[in-house]
Amino acid sequence: MLVNSEQIISALIETIQMVTFSLLFSTILGLPLGILLVVTRKGHLLQNLPVFNVLNGIINIFRSVPFIILLVAMIPVTRLIVGTSIGTAAAVVPLVFYAGPYIARLIENSLLEVDPGVIEAAEAMGATPWQIISKFLIPEALSSLVLALTIATIGLVGASAMAGAVGGGGIGDLAITYGYQRFDTVTMMITVGILIVIVQGLQSFGNIAAKKIRRR
Amino acid sequence: MKKLLLSIIIIALAIIGAGCAEKTSEGKESTTVKLGVSGTDTRIWDFVAKKAEIEGINIEIVSFSDYVAPNTALAEGEIDVNAFQTVAYFDVFIKEHKLDLVPIATTVLAPMGIYSEKYKDVKDIPDGAKIALPNDASNQGRALLLLQEAGLIELPKDFDPNGDLTQIKKNPKNIEFVPVVPAQTPRALPDVAASVINNGIAGDAGLSPLEDAIFAESETATPYLNIIAVQAKDKDNKTYKRIAELYQSEDTAEFIEKEYKGNMIPTFVPLSNIGW
Repeated sequence: MLVNSEQIISALIETIQMVTFSLLFSTILGLPLGILLVVTRKGHLLQNLPVFNVLNGIINIFRSVPFIILLVAMIPVTRLIVGTSIGTAAAVVPLVFYAGPYIARLIENSLLEVDPGVIEAAEAMGATPWQIISKFLIPEALSSLVLALTIATIGLVGASAMAGAVGGGGIGDLAITYGYQRFDTVTMMITVGILIVIVQGLQSFGNIAAKKIRRR
Repeated sequence: MKKLLLSIIIIALAIIGAGCAEKTSEGKESTTVKLGVSGTDTRIWDFVAKKAEIEGINIEIVSFSDYVAPNTALAEGEIDVNAFQTVAYFDVFIKEHKLDLVPIATTVLAPMGIYSEKYKDVKDIPDGAKIALPNDASNQGRALLLLQEAGLIELPKDFDPNGDLTQIKKNPKNIEFVPVVPAQTPRALPDVAASVINNGIAGDAGLSPLEDAIFAESETATPYLNIIAVQAKDKDNKTYKRIAELYQSEDTAEFIEKEYKGNMIPTFVPLSNIGW
């Protein structure tokens, strides 16, 4: 094996940092976008087709761009926010722009599954749109939203493997640079094993949380 | 009927035979040599082919789009000669694929360079500075050797050319090395003290090893010299040797220097220098 346990631990920390921060910021970006995508569509609470069409288009554009290209295209923005285009912190910016629109779509899907009857009932009670969103729509979809964010988190674990491209490090990068490029099978097995444990853990956590919410 | 068939076969054979050994205007026999290259830039070989034609050697250039097929095609006899790879790549490739190929001459070096937007000299790079370098195994090893030549680090004697950063023995300036994908090295320039950039990528990014690099490889970077390779049984083939001589001549060197403005360095050294 070409790497030592210290390298693996620091790579693990880098992955956790990248995934945590990019999940936080991409949720902050994706949640309002997802809600807007639902409520501005035709026949919904705050129908506003121009807003819906523009958002829909922008999200599709970001979702079309291959991650490595997004990473390069975002360099000026990254430099503006983080001050450099290389390193773990710099990798978070493109990850946010990659996962944000993805989360918006997942949230849109979850919210669309809410029974329209619930919204109609709320409207009949005279609730304002904001009240309907915060008191009815989101609580109704909460369990499904948790599962959606679980999917997004696991997607970010995968995408963070590409962060090595800008010197971001991480477990996935270790798997690529040692396991794949240097034919170091042991490192490949260990790193992929760690990734499997992470993904299994995240999915189980998401499932349990979603189940608890649903039971309430 | 039988006689007719026989005469047709004889005529056909005669035509095919004539095709194989056409007479040139000077009356000398001409032979065709199939030469495999990678990519579409055949400027040097076009130049050499012109010179060879005068001597009755017709070089037919076959362009491949990857770095595997030119070697396998050579081993299978589909081409006669190839010229597209560094000796480091060649050595690993023939070992892994168990091919019976040999180099017959060295050609050019596409120098890797250290580039900087902030410093004019490697010596000016301050303590604790960041240097970006390629993250793939072969380029990283090459970059480390270059950094050693530039006096920034020291590597062990038994350095593995596919080695990684942990092999650095001494790093007196405590430089922080940031491995990034090769195509990212020019883009990282504003964020680092210097970047180690491959020749091809530097060219694509509009940089020139001659004018922009603050330090570049010279012909001492023997593992990265490019070679002409043939099947082992053709090692002493006179035609192939003559082609190598035509390549390794002064006018070819001048042509390369002029055409590539120093971004390709003609390096004609004995095979023993590259471990053959």
